[in-house]
Amino acid sequence: MSATGIAVAMLQVVLTIAAAPLLVGMMRLVRARLEGRVGAPIRQPWRDLRKLLRKERMVSANTGWVFSIAPLVLLASAALVAGIVPFLSTRSALDQVGDLFAVVYLLLLGTVFLSLAGLDAGTAFGGMGASREMTIAAIAEPTVLVAIFALSVSTGSSNLGAIVAATLAHPSTAASPESLLAFAALAVVTIAETGRIPVDNPATHLELTMIHEAMILEYSGPDLAMVELAAHLRLVVFLGLLANLFVPWGIATTVQPLHLAAAAAAVAIKLVALAATIAAIEVFIAKVRLFRVPELLAASFVLAFLAVTASFFLA
Amino acid sequence: MNDTAFVQLLDIAAGLVLVTSFAALWLRRLVAVARVIAVQGVALAAVAFVIGLYEHENELVAVSLMVGALRGVVLPGLILRAVRAGDERREVESLINVPAALLAASGLTLIAYAATRDVVALSSTPQVRALPLGVAVMLIGMLLIVTRRKAVLQIMGVLMLDNGIALVMFLGTSGVPLAVELGIASDVLLAMFILQVLTSRIRNKFGGTDLDQLRELRD
Amino acid sequence: MVGFSLALAAVAAALAMAAGAALPMRARVLWVGVLTALSAAAGGAAAVAVLAGSGTFTANYPNLFPLGGVRLEFDALSAIFVLATAVVAVPASIYGIGYSAHGPASRPVQIAFPLLVWSVMMVPAAGNVTGLIAFWELMALSSLVVVLAEHHHNTEARTAAQWYAAMTHLSLLAIVLALIVLARQAGGDSFADIRLGVHQVGPISAGVVFLLTLVGFGAKAGVVPFHVWLPRAHPEAPSHASALMSGAMVKLGVYGLVRVGWDLLGGGPVWWGAVVVVVGLVSAMFGILHALIASDLKRLLAYSTTENIGLIFIGVGAAGMFASSGNRTLAAVALAAAMLHVVNHAAFKGLLFLGAGSILSATGTRDLDRLGGLARRMPVTAATFAVGSLAIAALPPLNGFVSEWLLLQSLVHSLPSSAAVVAVAMPVAVAVVALTGGLAAATFVKAFGTAFLAMPRTAEADQAHESPRTMQIGLVALSGVCIALALAPTVFAAPLQRVALAVGGLADGRPIHTNGVYLQLSGIQAGLSPLLLAVGLMVMIVAALAVVRRGRVRRTIRDIPAWGCGRTVQTARMEYTATSFAEPLQRVFDDVLHPEIDIDVDHRTESRHYVQAIRYRMHIRDGFEHRLYLPLLAAVRRWGDRARAVQNGSIHRYLAYSLVTLIVVLVVSR
Repeated sequence: MSATGIAVAMLQVVLTIAAAPLLVGMMRLVRARLEGRVGAPIRQPWRDLRKLLRKERMVSANTGWVFSIAPLVLLASAALVAGIVPFLSTRSALDQVGDLFAVVYLLLLGTVFLSLAGLDAGTAFGGMGASREMTIAAIAEPTVLVAIFALSVSTGSSNLGAIVAATLAHPSTAASPESLLAFAALAVVTIAETGRIPVDNPATHLELTMIHEAMILEYSGPDLAMVELAAHLRLVVFLGLLANLFVPWGIATTVQPLHLAAAAAAVAIKLVALAATIAAIEVFIAKVRLFRVPELLAASFVLAFLAVTASFFLA
Repeated sequence: MNDTAFVQLLDIAAGLVLVTSFAALWLRRLVAVARVIAVQGVALAAVAFVIGLYEHENELVAVSLMVGALRGVVLPGLILRAVRAGDERREVESLINVPAALLAASGLTLIAYAATRDVVALSSTPQVRALPLGVAVMLIGMLLIVTRRKAVLQIMGVLMLDNGIALVMFLGTSGVPLAVELGIASDVLLAMFILQVLTSRIRNKFGGTDLDQLRELRD
Repeated sequence: MVGFSLALAAVAAALAMAAGAALPMRARVLWVGVLTALSAAAGGAAAVAVLAGSGTFTANYPNLFPLGGVRLEFDALSAIFVLATAVVAVPASIYGIGYSAHGPASRPVQIAFPLLVWSVMMVPAAGNVTGLIAFWELMALSSLVVVLAEHHHNTEARTAAQWYAAMTHLSLLAIVLALIVLARQAGGDSFADIRLGVHQVGPISAGVVFLLTLVGFGAKAGVVPFHVWLPRAHPEAPSHASALMSGAMVKLGVYGLVRVGWDLLGGGPVWWGAVVVVVGLVSAMFGILHALIASDLKRLLAYSTTENIGLIFIGVGAAGMFASSGNRTLAAVALAAAMLHVVNHAAFKGLLFLGAGSILSATGTRDLDRLGGLARRMPVTAATFAVGSLAIAALPPLNGFVSEWLLLQSLVHSLPSSAAVVAVAMPVAVAVVALTGGLAAATFVKAFGTAFLAMPRTAEADQAHESPRTMQIGLVALSGVCIALALAPTVFAAPLQRVALAVGGLADGRPIHTNGVYLQLSGIQAGLSPLLLAVGLMVMIVAALAVVRRGRVRRTIRDIPAWGCGRTVQTARMEYTATSFAEPLQRVFDDVLHPEIDIDVDHRTESRHYVQAIRYRMHIRDGFEHRLYLPLLAAVRRWGDRARAVQNGSIHRYLAYSLVTLIVVLVVSR
């Protein structure tokens, strides 16, 4: 673990945190424009966070220490993942610390703490959100791990740096059936795990349909700021994983500042393109019923499963 | 066309044939299923087209174009007409639920891979390695026939089964003689017409094509 | 050193039993706890010595029993299981001091518990067939006494003990048959002789011995379909004994399977491993689904044991499949994953059972739907239970994650060139492991969330108080073990190599490499550092705290009411219960679980449009119990009824039976 490696990891974390609210603001703006509204400026999520950080912290009388530490764990796990995922360079110091499995389970750690916080609030909404969130997380898990299986068969490793390096070395693998199928599977899971339409609606406060918002109803002030920032960060992490695992070009394989800057520009372009696509698609589709979500995830599981069989047998 | 590009295009086209058969299990609207079957026909034609180009067999290219027209446009078009003509509900009714059907189809895919392993081991051409996909499509077509309740869906299942057979043929033999392909296609066309006539008669007589109700014909 | 420790363990256990028999109640509980902990610690010391490389310890007592002697053979495979036992037994014994003071302090239980601990440690140490069977039976009987601890005021305990006794003797029968066939064909009683003579065993007999072993040890391990005794016996035993049974005793099923199948028999064809993997997959899925919907906390933990044993079986079976198809390095990794999970599961399942015991003694109930709000009333129990829950849900940076990671790595890197059955099994195995992981997270969010968080649902939960000091020591010690195992799994690199070498038919070489903090696998280009992950998380948390503190937060207002859609009164009846939490997932798996739902609606007499009361009952039965065992029992009962016709109480008829028997014997033997 070299000093430059640590520096790269820190840089990734800082840049991702800075960019995440902007990306969310961009998605809201795209959506607003497509719906014929003017929409808030791109930096509105940052303004919201700043405002929340200055507000006072109100904590319900029913809650305990789990409620207080949950935002911290949620944010910390997302930030740590932002340091592991190769956004800028394959030479991040955290690459050997955790592989794709560790990334998935770290994100699950955040989900678990947020669900516990939802239960700790003691309201019907908190429990409802927690229960639904864990349901979706649990049945999304096979898709994710089987997709990772498919990715690691062709490269022989589940380490993110190794997968990215293998794709860079053999560009043709990016268009092979197994990567396309794995990409599709992970895309569905990304939508489910980040609470986008058609699984959850990030803009809703309609009691019976919300999932993520139901868990965080009791948060206010700086706690809410942390939860919101973590949600933005998770979105960027998932999109960044999708972008750089399957289309890694532009990523730096060194730690020279010039290469890193170029990599930052490349990943920014990829993220904006992905996010704009998602926002645009969301305008045209409706949220599905909660009990149809398993069908969606079963379909994504099948895609991941086919990716594994393809990589096993076509290789 | 160089080797890598050929392998990839072939794999993607053949993979699309398989993915569309999963999509046919997943979708709920009859019209959407018919459209997916059309995509499957086009993907099947693309497989033949790619092989024909790679091996410089003009005959196969010609066959592929015909297959594309027949299975991508004509047959699905007939099915769509049958769906639209029916005044019954246009939703899929199945004996097992969607996730279960998808998991069962995944299992069938594994079985197809395991069963064709020895055949695949005989040769190392990319065509033969993709052979299990065709077998899997056949099995999934049969699953569709077995588990769905509407006669229209049974017709689609037959078409999918036939697509699978055609895929196996394209991959297993390098280039199908035109006559064979024409013969099969006309067989399917004939079957389609028969089924078409049958369904319309069933519908006229009994007011629906739910197969479970056909049981009563036994007595 | 090893011999001395084992002798000390035996002496301490004997003293503990004597104390249990002789001393008055208060002193009895104290001394039994202390001496049992000493015995387990001595066993653990022996295990550590062997794992650290002191070599296999053997001893021979040829004339211990009239018909055969006992041989001890304490190698690395034995040691890892003894270590797992010590990990849970030492804290559980100390915990038992406080726990028994309010409950199971009777003489039989206090004598049986040290005997149970000692026999669980001696089963893996046995080096011949006679010794293995003797210790096995000792363990079965002492655990049966413990399950019966509360039979006076609890009829459930009696039924549980009947199921347990039946299953444990089915297990013994299969094991005795398997070992006798094996010993006879290989020509020897001691394990060393069997290993030498195993080439004389034909492939068919080897297969039969293996299947009998799988049935016998599988019944003890609680894999499907032999799991039915677990969710009955574990809830009824005193909690520190359930911790020992669930954390250590059921693992001996795994030990027996590995010892006989892959050490003594030296491994076999690929289908051996495949069968074990399939059993593991079914157990893992079935166990976690029933844990998910259980609202009895200890029943939930028991089903979760079936799940974890399933995961261990997947590891062992995968190792067998890899070894049979020629990839012995990968087999070593899979075996290492299974063995590490044995130790990890002992730590966190022991911890969770002790936590459940604390809840039970504080509130008098195990029903999650009647608990709630315990985090503020029982802070130590809550914090330690949280550690156990995160660990068992395989979340980083705790220890469950490390073994799950190892297992996934070994499954994912099965090469495409290996046998067809491997290629087909591994994607399914990864999917099932992933799904059980996700469902385990949901299960333990439910368990921790409904028991400890929000408002108490009943008066008993409201009046709960923290448990006595000795119980807290047990809880804190075990959560410390969980954290230590999580941060420093690298210390197991060399011991796991010794275990791999001890199992001749399964693996060789070194599964895990380590350079200080990183965990690296041989033959697999993948790394993990749980320690640095934990450090990273802490750094991020501190950084987030620092940033938030700088944001000029004015003050914290507590005591505001939770938002209830405009309602001002918030009662515990509005909270989600354990049952409602699991409902969406239960719906997803409806086709597997087959819940029976009754809804009765009573209308008001004035008008049918007004509802007076709605009763909703949902019951989910264990499918195997319902469809397999109950018909089986009914059949046995019918046979029994028929046999009753033979006896009508007439003394003449009985004498006639004797006469007939005598004649038959005379004719047959001539």
